[in-house]
Amino acid sequence: MNAPPAFESFLLFEGEKKITITKDTKVPNAAHFTVNKEDHTLGNLLRSQLLKDPKVIFAGYKIPHPLEHKFILRVQTTGDYSPQEAFTNAITDLISEISLLEERFKVAVREKQQGIE
Amino acid sequence: MQQNKPLHNQIPKRNQLYRKVLIKLTLETSKMYHIEEMRTRLTLNEQSLSNVHTTDFPGSYSGYNDAWDSRKFISNFRVKIISIDDKEMQFDMIGIDASIANAFRRILIAEVPTMAIEKVFLYNNTSVIQDEVLAHRLGLIPLDVDARLFEFRQTDDLEGTAEDTLDLELNIKCTKNPSAPKDATDPNVMYKHHKVFSGDIVWIPKGNQSDVSCVKPVHDDILIAKLRPGHEIDVKMQAVKGLGRDHAKFSPVATASYRLLPEIKLLSKITGDDVKELQSCFSPGVIGIKQNDQCEEEAYVVSARMDTCSREVFRHPNLKDKVKLSKVKDHFIYSVESAVGLAPNVLVSESIKILMTKCRSFLRELDNAQDKEMDTQ
Repeated sequence: MNAPPAFESFLLFEGEKKITITKDTKVPNAAHFTVNKEDHTLGNLLRSQLLKDPKVIFAGYKIPHPLEHKFILRVQTTGDYSPQEAFTNAITDLISEISLLEERFKVAVREKQQGIE
Repeated sequence: MQQNKPLHNQIPKRNQLYRKVLIKLTLETSKMYHIEEMRTRLTLNEQSLSNVHTTDFPGSYSGYNDAWDSRKFISNFRVKIISIDDKEMQFDMIGIDASIANAFRRILIAEVPTMAIEKVFLYNNTSVIQDEVLAHRLGLIPLDVDARLFEFRQTDDLEGTAEDTLDLELNIKCTKNPSAPKDATDPNVMYKHHKVFSGDIVWIPKGNQSDVSCVKPVHDDILIAKLRPGHEIDVKMQAVKGLGRDHAKFSPVATASYRLLPEIKLLSKITGDDVKELQSCFSPGVIGIKQNDQCEEEAYVVSARMDTCSREVFRHPNLKDKVKLSKVKDHFIYSVESAVGLAPNVLVSESIKILMTKCRSFLRELDNAQDKEMDTQ
């Protein structure tokens, strides 16, 4: 009927950008990252990884409206460090974490299967 | 004044010092133990849960370094496969954050692509099932095909190509069984093809599809409709690749869930009649009975893993203070049950890959966004 098309949850609209960065006007060293077509999966993951960084003062995310497929992540950092840097470092750390996870999972499955045979 | 001094103040100074140090040490260790407990365990109380949040972030506790350290992660992280077959698997991931654990669960349910019937062309349907209900039922049938071999179909493409679409057909007509005895009342004897099963769906290979894969429903015995003589269903279907986010029929797992490892501690000896009572408070196999040195029956924890964490024990006044129930915050017990033709370990590997590509593309997009910001400034 009037339901929005299902692909809206993962396909970017024409001209829409995946990530936009807006600097916080009131607080120094703070920025909002608006990420389109992503949800709690990545939002929560990034938030908790950012919090692991001692130079990050604040990290939090919200999904402003359940029908808009995007999340906004706010990051505030200490003076000698920019939110963008924090963000890049967090993702790089996540990538190394996931690749280790992938490797160990494969090894564990192989060992289990060889044990059976 | 001097004479009235209490006796214990007259003990030698050195002894007093020892006592002070001892008290301080025990206080310190109990404080450390308490903090460690808060950091690593979720406690189940009679009416509530405590320490449910992840708190091991820098700045939460003095004396702890919680900053991200990849070496620490590498040495702490472990994966243990508990059981695995081609339909179900159970495995433990130890030493990860809840957000990562949850990301995998979410991706398994909603973002690992599979093939499912998306378009149904009805040429004839004289059965009692309405067209739209039939189409919906057909959509939910899991197909045994590896979705990794196919592409996503463009939204404006109505025909589909061999790379992105599977053609299927269901053509069935119910007739009377001429050889049935006159007095038969069993529909199975009286009619032919009166039950339409998923096994009746026929795959029509498109292009060179028959070289790469063989498509059929995962189960042959899913009842789609019931017919009577003269009823006919004639439909053509197109299956496409999709995500569980779009529709639940594309979800590759029947269940993908995790729970935390339970932990049961007996704070004091439980003997005599209480033993049986304690045993009945937990799932079978959790509490065992052994003979202790005084030759009485004593309860011990065999394996807390099997426990359902019902907290029944807190309803027994004689036992409630003798037991401590908690969960290990970074020990995740996953169970994944595959609904499609792929093995569950393949699905988990796929979900890891998907998260990886997500992060990689994110890093790229972030660089783009930064460049654009530079340009505008």
